Amino acid sequence: MVSDQGRIASGEWHPPGTSRSVPSQLVETGGQIAAQDELHANLAAADFAQIEISARVGSIPRRLEFPDGSLFETSDNDAIDRLLKVRGKGSQGFIHQLERFRPHLVLVVAATILLGWAVYRYAVPALVEVAVLVTPPVVPEIMSQSAFKALDSGVLDPSQLTAERQRRIREGFGAIAALSSRGEAGYTLNFRKGGMVGPNAFALPDGTLIVTDELVDLAGDDTEMIVGVLAHEIGHVELEHSLRQVYRAAGVAGLIMMIGGDIGSGAEDILVQGAGLLSLSYSRSAETAADRHSVELMQKAGREPAAIARFFDLLEEKLDDHGDTSILSTHPGTPERRKAIRDYVAELRAKAM
Amino acid sequence: MRAGRAQRVYIDFILLKRGCGLWGWQSQIECLMGGIMVVAETASFQAAPARDVPSDFHRFAFMGSGKEYFGIWIVNVLLTIVTLGIYSAWAKVRRNRYFYGNTVLLGRAFEYHANGKQILIGRLIVLGGLVVLNVIATLVPILALLPTLAVIIALPWLVVRGLRFNARVTSYRNVRFDFVGGVGGAFKAFILGGLLTIISLGLLAPLASRWTGRYVGSNLRFGGKAFHTDPPLAPLYRGLLIGALFGIVVGIVAAAIIMGTFRATAPAENGLDDTVQVSLVWLLAGSSYVVLLLVYGTAMLFYRAAVRNAVWSATRFDEKHRFLSGLSRGRYTWIAISNLLVTIVTLGLMRPWAAVRMARYTWEHTSVLVAGSVGTLVSEIEQQGSAVGAEFIEFEGFDFGF
Repeated sequence: MVSDQGRIASGEWHPPGTSRSVPSQLVETGGQIAAQDELHANLAAADFAQIEISARVGSIPRRLEFPDGSLFETSDNDAIDRLLKVRGKGSQGFIHQLERFRPHLVLVVAATILLGWAVYRYAVPALVEVAVLVTPPVVPEIMSQSAFKALDSGVLDPSQLTAERQRRIREGFGAIAALSSRGEAGYTLNFRKGGMVGPNAFALPDGTLIVTDELVDLAGDDTEMIVGVLAHEIGHVELEHSLRQVYRAAGVAGLIMMIGGDIGSGAEDILVQGAGLLSLSYSRSAETAADRHSVELMQKAGREPAAIARFFDLLEEKLDDHGDTSILSTHPGTPERRKAIRDYVAELRAKAM
Repeated sequence: MRAGRAQRVYIDFILLKRGCGLWGWQSQIECLMGGIMVVAETASFQAAPARDVPSDFHRFAFMGSGKEYFGIWIVNVLLTIVTLGIYSAWAKVRRNRYFYGNTVLLGRAFEYHANGKQILIGRLIVLGGLVVLNVIATLVPILALLPTLAVIIALPWLVVRGLRFNARVTSYRNVRFDFVGGVGGAFKAFILGGLLTIISLGLLAPLASRWTGRYVGSNLRFGGKAFHTDPPLAPLYRGLLIGALFGIVVGIVAAAIIMGTFRATAPAENGLDDTVQVSLVWLLAGSSYVVLLLVYGTAMLFYRAAVRNAVWSATRFDEKHRFLSGLSRGRYTWIAISNLLVTIVTLGLMRPWAAVRMARYTWEHTSVLVAGSVGTLVSEIEQQGSAVGAEFIEFEGFDFGF
């Protein structure tokens, strides 16, 4: 407690703007707080409310700045805390109370781990949803158009498919697109020669779909299968996977950078790599979701729900792709995907019956 | 009784590499950054009659403890996560106040005076700029290089701003530091030096380190008096060479261990089916990556210690007081690597211990040779008053934490 003479703490006092210091006592006198020299003469005095007191951090010295610019410094942190408490400002030490090395820190550690996980698991996805909602449709449109242009000028060449072949695929595609929530007008189907990208199909977020000649050739006469693959791409568009992935990566990277200063650069780099691996798992789950979307859409259209699974048969057979899912892949392993699709078809059938 | 704050302005420089990492220059910048941390070769000092330690030889001390910092650290991380990053600005203030406030020279500690708001504003401005630039680059692929260009152009200015901010919020004995470097010098020290390092595949890194050391060290002021540094190239090249060799040796040993493990666990190479072969390829790719990182990391740390020694030991304050940094490069590397391993193994919980361990090692191997008596130096400082103390900066230009 404050002693009888109103003495609060001892320390040193600096006149305004100098590094010169004199030994001093902080005292409470006549309702004011004052720094006094050894002869009890006031060096500086002010009302408590006018004195700026630095927050406590560990046990580093505390600074009390008087309105005249002079400074009282003391390492007697506890005395200053008592002063703040008596004056009803004890709540200022809340952060320091949390930080003290006491058994309650175990709770803080547990809360950090739990909340860190919760933020990653719920808050980041929730923020991603908000960001997707507020993104005006023009953004994915511009993104898609410029990406399409870049693809056309860089990688893709005009299609060499016959008009008849294209017409048949368009017909099937029109039928399923009409049943999707964006409607047939929400999509444009483009044929291109893939070149180095090989048999592939992609969806741009504005509903632009691209199928390569190589994929069509691989499918042969099996138009149904191509429609199944297109239904998968429609799934990516409807579920807004590209936009989500962009926002998600940005959110996670942002969080890591924020705690970067506290975890050290080496550990931060490792976390960034880890986040990269985790985003691949997100990409794999997006593929699975699009596969299921294909099954549902095909079934709704009265077509063959498992058509896309045949595409995976074909991949395995012709391209010899037996790869398992690994934590380093963007897509689930082909055999695994095929099986998941067939299981889902069976499940839907069972439900229908 | 201690007063406090630290002249460790350059500490924040290391963080710069992270900012640049966003645009893929991480490695080059890290190279550069090493330059800032450091100063001179112990060896060159042993030649001088410095063996009989003069009475005016004063070590820095670091008084923080891992236990005490643990609480500050975990609360920083917790509140940063809960506030989705906003608290990180205040977290930085508490972290820096703790580290500066525990760095002691001649019985007094350094002090860090920034407040969270200044740092938050700085971060928001930089973050906002980055978001806008990246959005433009995403929407208009022709401008994909725009963010990189903008950063190259804006970086020197931001660096100057950050250095000045950090100098001015740092005080020792109630006297503030200041930084008077210009944008041109920052361009040469950081952008030009960085480019030279990249183009020369690291061979000119010592030159870049010298430029950065000179730029930062010679533009620093304390109470109106100047610091001056001009690190010689020889110890920097020696550090780079030994670092590279050391890194390669570490890499070879690590590769040998990994190959040995493969041999032992996969004896029947012919009988492997596809799946096993595929995962083996991944394992090999993964472990080569780890080995490369190890080589690079070791060499980098080794070099960083050499740069700190070279730069600090070439530094004079007020033309007469000398600094001396005597880090053992091997020990510094070991501390950094073992710190990282311990941090990973304990899922980050030992990070405070690691940070305090590194701070203690570096500061305890740093000292000042005061010309004349300490009393004279102190009274000289006292006559200066706080030169820039009154000048207030609204926000921290470039927070290298990004």
